[in-house]
Amino acid sequence: MRLTKQYGVLLRMSLMGVTARLGLVLTIVIGVTCAVGVLVSMLAMGVGARREALGNVRPDRVVVYSSDAQNTQQSSLAKDVAAQIPYLPGIRRNASGKPIVVFLVGAFVQARYKSGREGGFLVLGVTPGLTDYRPELHMTAGRLFTPGLHELIASNKCATQFENFRAGDRKHVRGSDWAVVGNFDNGTAVGLCTVYADAETVLSTFARNTYNEADVMLESAGQFAAFVDAVKANPALHLKAEHEADIVAENMQQLNGILNFVSFFVGTIIALAATIGAANSLYAIVDSRRRELATLRALGFGAVPIIAAILSESIVLALPGAVIGALVSWALFNGLSASPLNSSFHLAVTPALALLGVGWALAIGAIGGFLPALRAARVPVTAALRAT
Amino acid sequence: MKYLPLIWSGIWRKPGRTALILLQVALGFALFGVLQGMKSGVERSIANTRADVLYVGPGVFGGTPLPISYADRLKSIAGVKTVLAADGIPTSYQNPKQFVFVLGIVPTDDYLTLLPDIFQVEPKALHALRDTRNGALITQDIGKKYGWHVGDRIPLTSSVLKTDGSGTWDFQIVGMMTDHETGEGGFIVTNYTYLDESRASNKGTVRNFYVVASDPMHAGEVSSAIDRAFTNSPNETQTQSFRELRQQQLQSIGDLNFAIRSIVSAVLVALLFSTAAMMMQSIRERSPELAVLKTLGFSDRSVYAMVVAEGIMVCVVAALVGLALATGVFPYASKFVPGLSMPSDVIGLGVVGAVFIALISAALPASKAARLPVVEALAGR
Repeated sequence: MRLTKQYGVLLRMSLMGVTARLGLVLTIVIGVTCAVGVLVSMLAMGVGARREALGNVRPDRVVVYSSDAQNTQQSSLAKDVAAQIPYLPGIRRNASGKPIVVFLVGAFVQARYKSGREGGFLVLGVTPGLTDYRPELHMTAGRLFTPGLHELIASNKCATQFENFRAGDRKHVRGSDWAVVGNFDNGTAVGLCTVYADAETVLSTFARNTYNEADVMLESAGQFAAFVDAVKANPALHLKAEHEADIVAENMQQLNGILNFVSFFVGTIIALAATIGAANSLYAIVDSRRRELATLRALGFGAVPIIAAILSESIVLALPGAVIGALVSWALFNGLSASPLNSSFHLAVTPALALLGVGWALAIGAIGGFLPALRAARVPVTAALRAT
Repeated sequence: MKYLPLIWSGIWRKPGRTALILLQVALGFALFGVLQGMKSGVERSIANTRADVLYVGPGVFGGTPLPISYADRLKSIAGVKTVLAADGIPTSYQNPKQFVFVLGIVPTDDYLTLLPDIFQVEPKALHALRDTRNGALITQDIGKKYGWHVGDRIPLTSSVLKTDGSGTWDFQIVGMMTDHETGEGGFIVTNYTYLDESRASNKGTVRNFYVVASDPMHAGEVSSAIDRAFTNSPNETQTQSFRELRQQQLQSIGDLNFAIRSIVSAVLVALLFSTAAMMMQSIRERSPELAVLKTLGFSDRSVYAMVVAEGIMVCVVAALVGLALATGVFPYASKFVPGLSMPSDVIGLGVVGAVFIALISAALPASKAARLPVVEALAGR
């Protein structure tokens, strides 16, 4: 009881002195602001990218591709193999009773971004049934492509990244003229530019004869194990089935790995610098209060309340930095579109990230305040009282 | 110079605090060095990549490959010095995650001198490759990764099937090479003829040609002349110089420029505040000592200069330590971005930045020290 009372008095004294030591206090606040701001902003890239990529993922959607392929782009699905997939068990049927299976072939088309830099987009050739498999896809302009014709539909993202992607525009792909007949929105995910066209037309245009993958919708997410078993039961197919989420996560893995590594690498270095800065400032604060602290010790204040009070002061000073840092990061970067590593997405400063920033700041305050707090408790009473 | 001991003792008056501020500034500049160095390193790496080596590939990625007969037509285009054909198949070793790219070349002596940008090879290894139909050259890295040695026979699995319907390809390792371009996963080099004769489809085609322009200054014109020559043919081409390709490859890091700029400025602002506050505190604590100096006849100006010199010394030393740390990190960074090293101008920029920070943050404390009222300071007020 006595200890908590002492602690309360000490903490009040510490905080009342804040205005008198504004320079040192500001050093702590600004240091923490920068550390938290940078960490939160950097992580916002990874969070934004993940959020957009996983926005549409459903547990009842499965991707089937060659068992020896490293990823779906490398996979090739011959038509005789593909023909057997709709007969696998557990596949949902659409309103007219047909199994919801869409075969997909991707072809990369080089194009120049509006920014002037070279790049390209993927034309995804799909067999009929796209809207059954992707109910989240809704047309914002025009109509769906007609099978057999050189027609394509493009996500709204395409029009912001490249020229000539509005419904009604014409696009030159592989020596033939394609009509952009519609624009669509993929629900929450904005992600990359996505272009759909008729599978057979894409196959013949790009002189290919195999699909890349089959997208299958199951009756329910619970059917997954049975479906995988059925795929494995026929080794002649050379196929494997994975959750849509795993495929997306795998595609994201490299990007996420790099972004997170860079974020935490940079974030840790800045936090370390901020911690050292905080420790330094607190040392200076403790030094300037030597006589005061010695007097308190002489009056009978214990070492533990003093340590606790200095530590609390350090943490309390770090907290505004966390709040300001997270706010600045939110104000400057939330929703900002970034396109590092050939993928474009919007940065997302989420409450979870802000909380992480606050945790980061608490750690900076606690670690930075530890040694100065010990020093404060060890002030030699007689020497400090005699000192000028 | 005679002030040096005074400045020195001023710096080390509170050794613990000075050590902390040194560490803090050093960390700040280490981060500056890594980020800024990455940015400038990328720009320099692009500038150093050869513009006269052209990559001629199919006009559409994923489209049909080019016929090898194009080689002769390419040679006839004005400004073309050398034409080399290359093809490749994606394979994996033991499991699908262990990806190995197999590059098939026609092992002419051109590879000895012409294209260190793809890989470097000793004449002995190149001749060994020429003599062994299914021979392969490997890099040290990939050899270490999978435990391969010269003389080993390695089976690789590919989705590209052979004429006998199997996807298992055998290679005989005959020598070593040093790769320059690709850092990811690694690749091995084999004979184009082995690839082409063994595979079931796409016979007589190549993935790309390497074309060297005789005059680097006119490589751009050669590049468009090549694409023009094949327009409206069944196999249109897309020709880009190695420098353009490098630029695209590193573009992603360029896209992070805005982040790098924000981080570097945040760090510098934080450092500025820290050093200024610490110097202010130091001057406050030392006012009686400074008053003694003034009493002894030191002018206001020399007191000012001493305080500034203290700041510059601390900042520059700390910055050099930090930049040295950053330089030490670069060999690791070059694993992600091949050919990256710490540009010396970044070190110069860092030192200038350190002096700048010292000058700004010392300005207030120094003028306070210079204007110190002697009598009051001596009285401890």
